[in-house]
Amino acid sequence: MSAQTDGPVYWDPYRPDLGKDPYPTFKRMRNEAPLYFNEEYNFYALSKFADIDKHFGNTEIFSSARSDIMEFIREDIDVPPGMFIWHDPPMHTAYRSIVTRVFTPKRMNALEQQIRDFCAKCLDPLVGKDKIDFISDLGDHLPGGVIGMLLGIPEQDQQAVRERIESSLRTEEGKPMTAEQASYTGEGFEDYIDWRMQNPSDDLMTELLNAEFTDPEGVKRKLTRDEVLIFVNVIAGAGNETTAKLIGWMGKLLGENPEQRRQIAADPKLINPAIEEILRMEPPGPSVARHVTQDVEIHGQVVPAGSVMLFLLASANRDEDRYTNGEQFDIHRKDPPHITFGRGVHACLGAALARVEGRVALEEILKRFPDWTVDLENAKLSSSSSTRGWDNMPVIIG
Amino acid sequence: MAQITFIEFDGTEHVLDIDNGTSIMQAAIDHNVRGIMADCGGACSCATCHVYIDPQFADKLSDKSEMEDILLEEVCEPAETSRLSCQISVSDELDGMVVRMPERQI
Repeated sequence: MSAQTDGPVYWDPYRPDLGKDPYPTFKRMRNEAPLYFNEEYNFYALSKFADIDKHFGNTEIFSSARSDIMEFIREDIDVPPGMFIWHDPPMHTAYRSIVTRVFTPKRMNALEQQIRDFCAKCLDPLVGKDKIDFISDLGDHLPGGVIGMLLGIPEQDQQAVRERIESSLRTEEGKPMTAEQASYTGEGFEDYIDWRMQNPSDDLMTELLNAEFTDPEGVKRKLTRDEVLIFVNVIAGAGNETTAKLIGWMGKLLGENPEQRRQIAADPKLINPAIEEILRMEPPGPSVARHVTQDVEIHGQVVPAGSVMLFLLASANRDEDRYTNGEQFDIHRKDPPHITFGRGVHACLGAALARVEGRVALEEILKRFPDWTVDLENAKLSSSSSTRGWDNMPVIIG
Repeated sequence: MAQITFIEFDGTEHVLDIDNGTSIMQAAIDHNVRGIMADCGGACSCATCHVYIDPQFADKLSDKSEMEDILLEEVCEPAETSRLSCQISVSDELDGMVVRMPERQI
């Protein structure tokens, strides 16, 4: 049993027993402590959809300038220029404008054929096997490969890049992250950047090197080499791990819901709703932290300036006030959209890319493997204060 | 207050009375009009709340920002009448406007 059922509700993101199935606890938090305070780790948490929808995008009170990871906020780490996700407006606005125009639905959809080819390369050798692994056979390769294509990183180096980022986000079970894990300097990308400066191409790295933007002082300029390095590192990191986890959850949820999986295989129109439902049920980034910059009253209680607030997106996605039978996986649901990609100016830059990767991956999997059962005994789940998903997701074909 | 008609891609109509100051996007989401996603919730950064606006009302709408212009080139099936619905704030002047949902956002 993972959830306690009596006494005051308790939750922190570190306890493996709570991380295994946090949803009964989230449900109790929504009902009993919609503004939750954890004394042990000194943070607040919001779990209701309406509260998160209202407050998460308010950058004046809920700042990203000390990062979006609880441990780093508390240590008040130095955020370097170019670490755009960890800035507030107006600097964030200036940085984000450079990449917002790149990661659009149209430009991401244009990658569809390349993504399909990549999936085929991963999946074709597996046809005929009686067991495959959604992570080690696909999730480990596809997102890194796609982001590598976008950036122009040579294929033989993409796996090394992914491994480095994974290990920087991993926490020891039951323990918070440390500031040393805040790797954002772009170490490992310097050679590509310098080479691209001399050899421009049509990739994202070249675009970042050439993009002109107006900074908050009104100066029109290009990104510095150091800023480009950090941009590349952020994009490579964000594009890898979360999408790998989406693919893992795809294996898990559709393995456990064979009837819906067969409906999807029979009707391609159900692919997009299925991806949205997977994203709603199991967000790879279940909670996101903000630094509270001024006293704010929520549910009749003052959250003091200086606090850490955790926004439990995974809880909001199942809030019974918004979703009918929110704990059920239902690709046919008619409820309004989920909040997995966040809200406001920091909403996930790569959402359109994650969706096209998820859609194409699911199509290509179903073409080759319409039926599977999850081998849960051999699957391993990991969770930290910022991500949650499968390290491997073996399934039995047929 | 303005009465605005939302038409989903399959033809389903929603006639909604919307308070001034509410965005078209927010009104659609609040009433579960199908066809927009609005990931960013109104920050003009995700391009998933694309709609087609009644041309008769074009001159009653606020001007597009530079970012909205850029993003409108990047939506699926852009048209002359395309707007991001999060960038349109309801006013009395928009009474009677028709807003059509595109086939897809992504």
